[in-house]
Amino acid sequence: MKIAAEDNVRELERKLIARARSGDKLALRELVDQHKDRLFAFIWRMTRNHHDAEEVCQDAFLKAFASLESFRDEFRFSTWLFTIGYRMCLNRMRKKQAINGDIDFASMPLPSHESPSDNVESAEAAQLRSDVWSAVDQLSPQQRASVLLFYRQSMSCQEIARILELPVATVKSHLHRARLRLRNMLESTSEKDLLQFRNLSGLAG
Amino acid sequence: MRCEAAQNLFDAYLDGELSAGQRTELGAHCVKCADCRRALALMEVSGHIMTSDREPVTLDANFTDRLLACVDEQESSWMRRWQRWIYVAAPLAAAAVVLMGFFGFFDSNKGRVAGKAETGQIESVIDDSEIPEPFLDDDLEVTDGDAPAGELQQLIRRSQNNFDTRRQDVESLLEKVDLTILQKIDVLEQLNEQDPTDPEKHKNDLPGHDASGDE
Ligand SMILES: [Zn+2]
Repeated sequence: MKIAAEDNVRELERKLIARARSGDKLALRELVDQHKDRLFAFIWRMTRNHHDAEEVCQDAFLKAFASLESFRDEFRFSTWLFTIGYRMCLNRMRKKQAINGDIDFASMPLPSHESPSDNVESAEAAQLRSDVWSAVDQLSPQQRASVLLFYRQSMSCQEIARILELPVATVKSHLHRARLRLRNMLESTSEKDLLQFRNLSGLAG
Repeated sequence: MRCEAAQNLFDAYLDGELSAGQRTELGAHCVKCADCRRALALMEVSGHIMTSDREPVTLDANFTDRLLACVDEQESSWMRRWQRWIYVAAPLAAAAVVLMGFFGFFDSNKGRVAGKAETGQIESVIDDSEIPEPFLDDDLEVTDGDAPAGELQQLIRRSQNNFDTRRQDVESLLEKVDLTILQKIDVLEQLNEQDPTDPEKHKNDLPGHDASGDE
């Protein structure tokens, strides 16, 4: 059933791309609306700058549309779009780094209200949340990208490998190292908070 | 199971790649070992937070409209570039015809060997790469001394000299052609700058581009 549904989605995407290739503006709009939020979320987490992320996003779509002919539809459109976006994002970060020096993520204020539910959560749980995200900010760009694509975009290591243009084994080792670093950075979390969070989020058991 | 062996299974566990047997083994170790239990819990919790937290920022509501407007503008700028190309290509094509005439491209009385060398020369001049050493001399040096071959040699030398002077003419002609094309592009560029629909200029003053830094 799941495979049939997946095939169906791919077939719809193929038709949509075919329409987009023939210059159908509605098809382009549909492609943008389908992918913009996910791409933006990823690029924003990479650059941590709203303005940069929007520009990279826009450029990635424009580039993807301009080279739609070279898109091979055995891949997902999202994989291809993220590959373009990631490359542009790295370029942007490199340029910025060359001008301003290393980006100090630690000094960037973390936006609040990230909880998935509207329930009021304990101060400890909120603290753990913000600790996790600031730990993510401190990972290397490749580790950060691997972690974000894996957890936030629910992508497989194969898909991530295509986007980062790295071997699957390298992606797995980035994920492994990122997890170790996250674990070390969160080492000070108290047993109580951890347990509380696990109970709250239903992870225990 | 030792801690090291248990920790080697963490990644596979988190990726959901453990077999049922391995899962049981790891679970049994974690029940006894507080360190491994805590390490795994930390990774699980951070994974859970990364997976399920809401995005704190959102894309501008009119992002799609703005993007599609850019697509339209790009298309019309390609149209303009295409029109500009025709404007530029016409004198270029005329120049190419002049060049071909110069080299006797249309002269059917020329011998095959010489004709071949000439087209080679045209390509190299147009390519703007270094003019290669004429290969005809080398090829025919072996037969030097032979009367008809000597005659041919002389003919080739003469045509080679002819080439050199013609090449200079052609090079100066090409410079002139280049200059006029550049001038024309300049004029077009200036016209474009005054064009209110030019996308290059309006790319950055669309709404939503004033946000600097983070929310
Ligand atoms: Zn242990």
